[in-house]
Amino acid sequence: MAESEEEVDVLVQRVVKDITNAFKRNPNIDEIGVIPCPEARYNRSPIVLVENKLGVESWCVKFLLPSVHNKLLLYRQRKHWLDREALADITCTLLLLNPDFTTAWNVRKELLQCGALSPEKDLYLGKLALTKFPKSPETWIHRRWVLQQILLQSSGRSQKDPQSEEERADGEQSRRLNDQLARTLHQEMKVCSDAACRYPSNYNAWSHRIWVLQHMATGNVKVFHDELSSTRLWVSMHVSDHSGFHYRQYLLKELIAELSQAAASTTTTTTSTGVLQHMCSTVAGISPPHHDQANGEEAGEDGRQLSSTALLQLFHQEVELCTDLIQSFPGHETLWSHRRHVYYLWHDWRREHKHQCHRGSNGGSEPDRLENGDEGPLKACAQSPAGLGEDGVNGPRHAGEAMEVDGASLPDPRNSKRLKRGALPPGAPALPSEHGFVSGILDSDCDPEQRRFALAYRKWLDTVIVQHP
Amino acid sequence: MGTQVKDVIIKPDAPSTLLLDKHADYIAAYGSKKDDYEYTLSEYLRMSGIYWGLTVMDLMGQLPRMNRQEIVDFIKSCQHECGGVSASIGHDPHLLYTLSAVQILCLYDNVDALDVDKVVEYIKGLQQEDGSFAGDKWGEHSSQRLYSIYDSRLHPSPQGKIDSINVDKAVEFVLSCMNFDGGFGCRPGSESHAGQIYCCSGFLSLTGQLHQVNADLLGWWLCERQLPSGGLNGRPEKLPDVCYSWWVLASLKIIGRIHWIDKAKLRSFILACQDEETGGFADRPGDMVDPFHTLFGVAGLSLLGDEQVKAVNPVLCMPEDVLQRIDLQPDILS
Repeated sequence: MAESEEEVDVLVQRVVKDITNAFKRNPNIDEIGVIPCPEARYNRSPIVLVENKLGVESWCVKFLLPSVHNKLLLYRQRKHWLDREALADITCTLLLLNPDFTTAWNVRKELLQCGALSPEKDLYLGKLALTKFPKSPETWIHRRWVLQQILLQSSGRSQKDPQSEEERADGEQSRRLNDQLARTLHQEMKVCSDAACRYPSNYNAWSHRIWVLQHMATGNVKVFHDELSSTRLWVSMHVSDHSGFHYRQYLLKELIAELSQAAASTTTTTTSTGVLQHMCSTVAGISPPHHDQANGEEAGEDGRQLSSTALLQLFHQEVELCTDLIQSFPGHETLWSHRRHVYYLWHDWRREHKHQCHRGSNGGSEPDRLENGDEGPLKACAQSPAGLGEDGVNGPRHAGEAMEVDGASLPDPRNSKRLKRGALPPGAPALPSEHGFVSGILDSDCDPEQRRFALAYRKWLDTVIVQHP
Repeated sequence: MGTQVKDVIIKPDAPSTLLLDKHADYIAAYGSKKDDYEYTLSEYLRMSGIYWGLTVMDLMGQLPRMNRQEIVDFIKSCQHECGGVSASIGHDPHLLYTLSAVQILCLYDNVDALDVDKVVEYIKGLQQEDGSFAGDKWGEHSSQRLYSIYDSRLHPSPQGKIDSINVDKAVEFVLSCMNFDGGFGCRPGSESHAGQIYCCSGFLSLTGQLHQVNADLLGWWLCERQLPSGGLNGRPEKLPDVCYSWWVLASLKIIGRIHWIDKAKLRSFILACQDEETGGFADRPGDMVDPFHTLFGVAGLSLLGDEQVKAVNPVLCMPEDVLQRIDLQPDILS
């Protein structure tokens, strides 16, 4: 059925209007899609809104897209004027059908800049586009631009002249700002997570997630730790998702950087102490130690021990997770790749840590035992992960240690001291135990792919780690 | 019971010879048969699409079949006042399409169809404080852009324009994208990715900084991309894809480690990605073909030594004879 240009134009204008109205009627639309429907039914709109899903019948898409596309380009070439509202509606329709159309996003940037659109609208539009096109590079790129505008706006507001506001109002406003940013941050985490579910190993989604933390959560140990917790189950159910595991590597790396800094400094703030205590207490029901903040030096030492112990816990938990998954799901390259990364982070941290200790005044006559040769009180992480829980990082209980507690067990302060000496606490990753792990896999597992990856891991240990002590 | 490895299985009746004529016919006819909808969908990258089509035609010795004048006129009408070039008429300018335009004009030995000084000015204006380059005036930057800028900056005039951009800072940024596994991500802290590795190695080659790469470590990561089918993927546990057969292979060539992969198996994978009926290559056997994968299939075969195809330069993905004409020979490790 051939249609004249005028008929097409009328149809298109109607459809664009229908889409705009659908959003007005239902501000909670959370998914878009194309409904397979080869024939137009007389006088019925191709726009279908059911519950919170917005659908476009497929018969109209081949008219709709080229028409709005060309309209926008005529505007861009100044051959045809469109007012702001029309631009907003047309670009919305366009981007829901073809979100990689960069120029359409740029038009919306200009609308944002002159106040005709709010940043939240574009975050919402992007979120919808991602339900159908979870990888769309241009959508993620535009999203980052919008977030930068939001960050600029809020940093502008928080720098208001203090003399023009009451102290209390200032505090409230900055609290509100922080709440708003926190909400935006968590929304981004959710958008990334949804997109990651929709497409396996979604590089763009996970890399965006990292970008958001880099720009909105710098140095925020609590956020990094929460993200580690909240993604643990997800990666366990997506053991091929290399990007998901890389995200955890990123989080670990950031936590190491932050906690190492804390360990090296002479004081710790109350906030980070609280988070550290929480981190230490998330394993084996330890209740966090109290300590007397009045004595700065002691508090500093406690903070350092707390940081080191928290780091040990992190490594221990990650290696345990990796081990469990490798054993439960044989033959997944991603899991072995993750093990390399985690081991490397550990190896690198140990190297840094040793240098820090030597730089400090720790009675430097302690022998420096390299982890390669240190068999010490080690238990292979893999061989008895369950056993590790009883006797691992916590160590046997000791009453009358430095910290006063109400009777519960606590992170073994001897571990951080062991670290300083260059020795390893029980259960920590180490070359001999990693080789033991590989041998265990080779001896027990028949899966040829698992063998291949185990051997490659061993080769990697011998080549990369051994050559960079 | 074995795990199902993420890979394809090449059927015994898959194509095993190179069907050059079919591919030339496919590219020559591309665009004329596309209906409005499909073609419109990809218009946002049209300039790159033309570059892919023309380059593969040139590699096959079939460039004269394309309409040179039409294409040159098209490019002229895509250069904006700021000097940047857009993907198509009326679209906004962008570094990626500026690069593609320059590469096309190099194939035709007609770079002065553009206002070259303006192009350089546009590119120079995109460099950020940290050394990276934005893709356009809106600011998104990544290491991929860097490759583009350096590449297109060189083409207009290999000598003389070098002081327009801060090369040291740009190198610094690329190196900050290097990961512990020897690979590169799109931004500092990002996951290693074969496409990014290609862009960064290419950039370091063009700036004479290949010695900064850990060739053994990176080479190892790259050759681990080869799967039992012979095809290459871009990251662990991804399916093989003909375009990664280019990004990975070319990177290996640049860092002097191309002999680390099984060439024969890769060749048979690439050939299996051909469509005997329509011509062209798909991402993997049995899928739909497109010009993008057609270029990288043919270019990959060229790198593997196929003599039916012209020699391709691994850094710039253009015929070697074109680069010889403009006297541009980027470094390659041995």
